[in-house]
Amino acid sequence: MSQLANADARNKLQSFLSLYLQKLNPFSLIGHISETKYWAYLMILPGLLLVSVVIFYPVVSGIWLSFHKYNLLRPKAGQPWVGLEQYQELINDPIFWISLKNTFIFGVGNVILPLMLGMIAALALNHINRGRALFRTMLLMPWFMPSVVAGHMWALLLDSRLGVVNDLLVRIGLLDSYHAWFADPNTTMIAVLMVGLWRGFPFFTLLLLAGMQSIPTELYEAASVDGANPWLKYRAITLPLLIPIILVSVTLRTIAVINSPDLFIILTGGGPGRTTHVLSFYAFNTAFSEFNFGYAATISTIMLLIVTIFIVIYMRVLRNPNQQRSAT
Amino acid sequence: MSHRTTQRLYNVLAYTVVVIVGIFSAFPIVWTFLTSLKRNEDVVTKTLQYIPTNPTLENYSELWGRMSFITLFGNSAIITVMTVSICLVIGSTTAYALSRYRFPGRGGMMMVFLLIRMFPMVLMLVPLFIILRNLGLLNSRLGLALVYTTFLLPISIWMIKGFLDAIPIDLEEAARIDGASRAGVIVRIILPLAAPGIAATAVLISIASWNEFMFALMFTSNEQSQTWPVGLHLLVGGEFNLPWGLLSAGGIISVIPIIIFFVLAQNSIVRGLTQGAVKG
Repeated sequence: MSQLANADARNKLQSFLSLYLQKLNPFSLIGHISETKYWAYLMILPGLLLVSVVIFYPVVSGIWLSFHKYNLLRPKAGQPWVGLEQYQELINDPIFWISLKNTFIFGVGNVILPLMLGMIAALALNHINRGRALFRTMLLMPWFMPSVVAGHMWALLLDSRLGVVNDLLVRIGLLDSYHAWFADPNTTMIAVLMVGLWRGFPFFTLLLLAGMQSIPTELYEAASVDGANPWLKYRAITLPLLIPIILVSVTLRTIAVINSPDLFIILTGGGPGRTTHVLSFYAFNTAFSEFNFGYAATISTIMLLIVTIFIVIYMRVLRNPNQQRSAT
Repeated sequence: MSHRTTQRLYNVLAYTVVVIVGIFSAFPIVWTFLTSLKRNEDVVTKTLQYIPTNPTLENYSELWGRMSFITLFGNSAIITVMTVSICLVIGSTTAYALSRYRFPGRGGMMMVFLLIRMFPMVLMLVPLFIILRNLGLLNSRLGLALVYTTFLLPISIWMIKGFLDAIPIDLEEAARIDGASRAGVIVRIILPLAAPGIAATAVLISIASWNEFMFALMFTSNEQSQTWPVGLHLLVGGEFNLPWGLLSAGGIISVIPIIIFFVLAQNSIVRGLTQGAVKG
């Protein structure tokens, strides 16, 4: 009797042990957890944590900082609360208004021009068959250039003495003599817009081409039967169906253009004079040349307000179900 | 005009546009390459040399000697690997949950991830600087990788979610009936199927973090922690006569990995990007 009971107990112990060991195995442990109702939240958790630590906290403290004076060069002054003082300062700051105007010029120019070139390129790419992959790679290349490399490349191309652009323009007779693109206030913005066009148009080409390829070919066939010419087909089919994609890409591009000071840091440094002084560059410079972190945060917060307007447009476009459906 | 001639006309027109825009895109890169093969006296000449008369690789070897090449390249590579790892691991779990499970707050979370990538990076610059300084992560690779995560994680989540949405849910249900756990389904069914999409995401994140300039410029101040783009930029700084040949050689070197990556994963990158941007 007692032997039997002993064997029974041993069996129980063994099965318990094996079950316990199995649970300790991390792989089967994860398998067990994945059957509970907490699984979905568990998978979300890391992303959510990281986002709140590295994104929300900085944004909120950036806005918070805009109500404080904080200059790294005056560590004894600390971070006193000054309320809206820096916003008042901003309104009376002529450089802010110049930068706002330049941001507007650059924002509009650097979206409209790439959009037009991007549309033309996408239409052409969509039309050709042979060599499409090759040309698409070529056309998308500028977008993947590091901004540093792109900036310096164009600085060399547009150099007043050594630049090939000047040489070519003189050769074909468009210029009488070499032009100092980045020294002349009248042409600096043009030069920067040119570089922006080069870097910016592939993004539009990419999105518009994807949009064009999702338009059912039956629509064009039907239009052909009705005797529509290509221009009419473009006006009546392609363009209307692309409107949501155009709006989305314009919004995304506008936000990117407003936010990025890279080209200005590398090409112009905001000059000559303040002809290319944009808000992103102003905020960047205030923070890291003057170390006036409080004021830089104020400028950035104003930029956030400007960008928010575009985000609202973006959301409107994405939320509109009719346009959404017609796009895909 | 007959139908065939109009067709031919449009073909000619399309190819003309593609060739002109193609030249516009490629010319600066080609020119940079040509310049990198010139000696400095051939760059600074009265008459411009289109094809270098004495092609030389001197610039490349001089670049090797002048910049702490290995440190800069190594830093960029390590930061890129760290950023990609963080973004892929955390991005895939989050993307999977968003793609497959319905739970309260899901729509809101997706919106948040969408909006985050539009925040002005300049606004985060100052607070991130202060945070990194307090954590002692200025001049550190981990610090920069964490910073890059701020703007690359949301993109990864959206891209990977797009690829996961395309995998039919029936496959998972079949595996579940066969007794696989939810985690088992992810490892055995989903990951292999999503691998190309995840790879494309990895390539895109690599390019973005390899190219990043503004944060790297601000958050590093010594050569041990600087990245390749910053090193390249500082090569120019403070010199009266710009070393164009050197700079061009540096540009070409930094572009080679990107071109290889891009050509390899072009199609899936394009698909992932367009899905992410246009779908709500």
